[in-house]
Amino acid sequence: MAYEAVRVKTPLILKILPVASILLFFGAWEFTVDTGIVPSTMLAAPSSVLKLFIAKLTQPNPDGAVLSTHAWTSIKEAGIGYLLSLLIGLPLGLLMGWFTTIRGLFRPIFEMIRPIPPVAWIPLCIFWFGIGLWGKVFIIWIGAIVPCVINAWVGVSMTNPTLIQMARTYGATDRQIFTKLCIPSALPMVFGALQIALAYAWTNLVAAELLAADSGLGFLITMGRRLGLPEMVVLGMVTVGFIGAVIGVVIDVVEKRLLAGIRR
Amino acid sequence: MEECGRAGVKISCEKLRKMFIQKGKIQVHVLEDISFEVFHNEFVVILGPGQSGKSTLLRIIAGLERPTEGRVLLDGKEVKGPGPDRGLVFQSYMLFPWRTVMGNVEMGPKLRGIPKDERRKVGAHYINLVRLDGFEKHYPHQLSGGMKQRVGIARAYANNPDVMLLDEPFGQLDAQTRYFMEKEIIRIWETEKRTVLFVTNNIDEAVYLGDRIITLEGKLPGRMKSTYTVNLPRPREHTDAAFLELRETIIEESQLSL
Amino acid sequence: MSVSTLADEIRRPVEERAPITLLRILRNEYFLYAVSLVLFLYIWDWVAKAHILGKSLATPHQVVTELARLMTVKLAGKNLVGHIWDSTRRVLVGFTIASVIAVPLGLLMALNRYVNAIVKPVFDIFKPMPPIAWISIAILWFGIQEGSKVFIIVIGTFVPCLLNSYNGARLIDPELYDVVRVLGGHRRHEIVQVCFPAAFPAIFAGLQVSLSVGWTCVLAAELVSSQSGLGWIIIQGMRLTKPELVIGGMAIIALVAWTTSLLVTGLEKLICPWKRQIEGL
Repeated sequence: MAYEAVRVKTPLILKILPVASILLFFGAWEFTVDTGIVPSTMLAAPSSVLKLFIAKLTQPNPDGAVLSTHAWTSIKEAGIGYLLSLLIGLPLGLLMGWFTTIRGLFRPIFEMIRPIPPVAWIPLCIFWFGIGLWGKVFIIWIGAIVPCVINAWVGVSMTNPTLIQMARTYGATDRQIFTKLCIPSALPMVFGALQIALAYAWTNLVAAELLAADSGLGFLITMGRRLGLPEMVVLGMVTVGFIGAVIGVVIDVVEKRLLAGIRR
Repeated sequence: MEECGRAGVKISCEKLRKMFIQKGKIQVHVLEDISFEVFHNEFVVILGPGQSGKSTLLRIIAGLERPTEGRVLLDGKEVKGPGPDRGLVFQSYMLFPWRTVMGNVEMGPKLRGIPKDERRKVGAHYINLVRLDGFEKHYPHQLSGGMKQRVGIARAYANNPDVMLLDEPFGQLDAQTRYFMEKEIIRIWETEKRTVLFVTNNIDEAVYLGDRIITLEGKLPGRMKSTYTVNLPRPREHTDAAFLELRETIIEESQLSL
Repeated sequence: MSVSTLADEIRRPVEERAPITLLRILRNEYFLYAVSLVLFLYIWDWVAKAHILGKSLATPHQVVTELARLMTVKLAGKNLVGHIWDSTRRVLVGFTIASVIAVPLGLLMALNRYVNAIVKPVFDIFKPMPPIAWISIAILWFGIQEGSKVFIIVIGTFVPCLLNSYNGARLIDPELYDVVRVLGGHRRHEIVQVCFPAAFPAIFAGLQVSLSVGWTCVLAAELVSSQSGLGWIIIQGMRLTKPELVIGGMAIIALVAWTTSLLVTGLEKLICPWKRQIEGL
C-alpha cells in the first residue's frame, strides 16, 4: 500500500545517541590508556594514534616509509590482484555456468581450491614467488577469484529458462544464447561479485602482508608490533579499515549508476 | 438472512476519518466520514476498487491502526487495539512459514496459554472445517494458494473470535479457485456463524457473498457511496436473474462515479 | 513384440534415449570431472618431478605418504589428528563465543531503535577492518598463547554473525507481527514466535560465512605464532623446506573446513525444514 511507507518522525534522542555513543567510545578509550588502566605498551590512546598519523604523513621513520607510500603499496597489490581475479574469474564463471564441457573440466579444480583459505597459500607462495609483489598478488587473486566465479556461474544458471526456450524457437545457437542472453542476464550477480571480491581482496591483502613484506599497511601493523608501538598498529588498522570503507562506497555508487535501470 | 437483522449491533463505526500525517502536513487522506453498523452474525461486504482505503478501514476495525477521528465500537465498547475477539485473514495469507499447518492454526490458542491437548483438538476441528484433513504436518510452502488461505481462515477461526475480518482474501487466487473458495467461505460461515466483514474489489464476489454490500468511492479519501441489501437466498447462482440485476446496478453506479 | 499403446505411453514417462556415442560420453559432465581430476593430478605430478618450480612442489604421492606418516609420527608432540583438533577447537571456541553474543545482539538491534542507535555507529567503525589486522593487537595483549588465537577468531566471526542476524530480523515482513497481535499475542510473543524463527535462515547463512572467516583467522594466527595446529604444520613445512608438508596441510585444511561447513548445512536442514533450498552452489 502506497501510504504505508509514511513513518513517524525520528525523535531527537535517536539522532543524538549515535553521536554520543561514538564520543563515549573514544572517550573511554582515551581514558583507559591515559589513566594507566591499560598500559600504553598494550594499547595506544586515540591521541597518540592521531599524533603518529600526522607525523607519518611526512616522516618515513621508524618503519621505512611515509604513510602514503604504505597505503599506495597496499592499494597497488590489492588492485592488481583484484583486477586479475575479475579478468579471469568472471569469464570463467560465466562460461562454467553455461557450457558443460568447461564446467566439467574446471569444476573439480575449483571445488578443491575453494575451501582452502587464501591465507593457507602463503607458505607455498613464499616458496614460489618469494616475498615480492607477485606472491602477494597471487594470494589476493586466489582469494578474490572465488566469489567472481561463483557469482558469475550462479548468475548464468539463473537465466530465465523461458527466455532461453524463446531464443531457441528463433533458432539461436548455444553460443548466441550465451553471449546475447546469459551474460546480460547475469550482470546484476556480476556486480555483486565486484563488491564481494573487493572485500575479499582487501582482507587477504592484510593477511599476505602481515607475513612477508617490506612495505604496505600490513607491514606497518607488523612493524608496530615488533617495535612495541601500539599506536603504529592501530594507525595501520584504522587506515586499512578506512580505505576499505571508502572503496566499498565507491563501488556502491558506481554500481547504482550503471545498473540504474535494471532491477536486482 | 434469518439470523441477522436487528438482532443486535455487533460493530459500529462512527464517523471514521483516517489521515497519515507527517511533519504537520497531511500526507495521505485515506478515509472520510465512514459510519455504518454491522449486525450480529451478518455477512457484510465492503466493496471498492483499488486505492479506496478499504484495507485501512478493516485494519482500523481490527485495531491495527488508530483512526484520526471517530471510533469503532464492538458490542458497545470502543476498540483500542488488536485482540483475539476479531480474527483477521490476510490477502497474502501471512502464514508462519516455519510452522506446520497445525502449528499455524493452533497459534492463537497457543498465545493465549491454552494447553497442548486442548489446542490440538481445537486445531483439528477447524482444519476439518476448512477440509484440510491430512495436511496437518505440511509446511506452507508445500501448499497451493487456495489451501494456504484455508489455513489462514482456520487460524482465524481457531481463536474463537466474535468477528471475522477478511481483507481481500481471494485476491491472489486464480479465477476458478476463487469461485471455489467463495462457495467454501459461505459453507464455513453457515457451519459456524460469526459476524463477518469481507473486503473485496470484485463485484461478482460481493453479490455472491454478502447480506449487505457497502460500496466505497473509487478515489481517496474513501467515502461511503451506497449500501445494498442482498435478499437473495443462498446458495446463490452467478447466472441468476436477480443476481445479474443487482450486479448491473452496482456496475452502473460505480462507472458513473469514475 | 507388442505395439505400445497410448495407454502405455502415458503410464511410462517418455524418456528420450539418445544413442550412446563417443561424443556423448566426452560431453557428459561427470566423465569430464573424472578426466579433469586425472589430468590435474598428472600435470601436478609432472611439474613436481620436472622441477619446473624448483624444488618447491611435491608430488601427490609424496604428499599422501607424508600425511599418512603424520598420523603416527608426532610433530611437536602431536600427531596429525592432534593438530587438526587444536585448530578445530580454536575455531569452535571462538565461533561459539562470538555467535552467542552477536546473534542476540543483532536481533536486539533490529527490534529496538535505541539499542541500534547506540551500537551500530561503533560497529560500523569496526566493520571494515579485516580481522587479520587484529593479529598484532592480539599478540600484544595475549602473547602467543591460546587466548590470542581465540581472540582473533572471535573478532573475525563476530561481524558476519551480527550483520546477518541484524539484516535477517530487519527483513521480516512486518505483517507477520500483525498476525501475532491480532491473534492476541503481546510484544514478547512477537519476538519469540516471529522474529527468532523468521531470522533463522539468515542467521544460518551468517554462521556459514563466520565459519569460513573463522578458519581463515585461525590459520593466519597459527601462521604468525603458534606451536600447534594446521597453520603451524604449514609453517613448519616452509621452515623445513618440505613442500609435501605444506601441501598436505593445505589439503587437510580444505577437507576439515569443508566438513564443518557441511555440518552447519546439515544443522540448518534439521532446524529449518521449511526453508526451500535454492538450487545452487
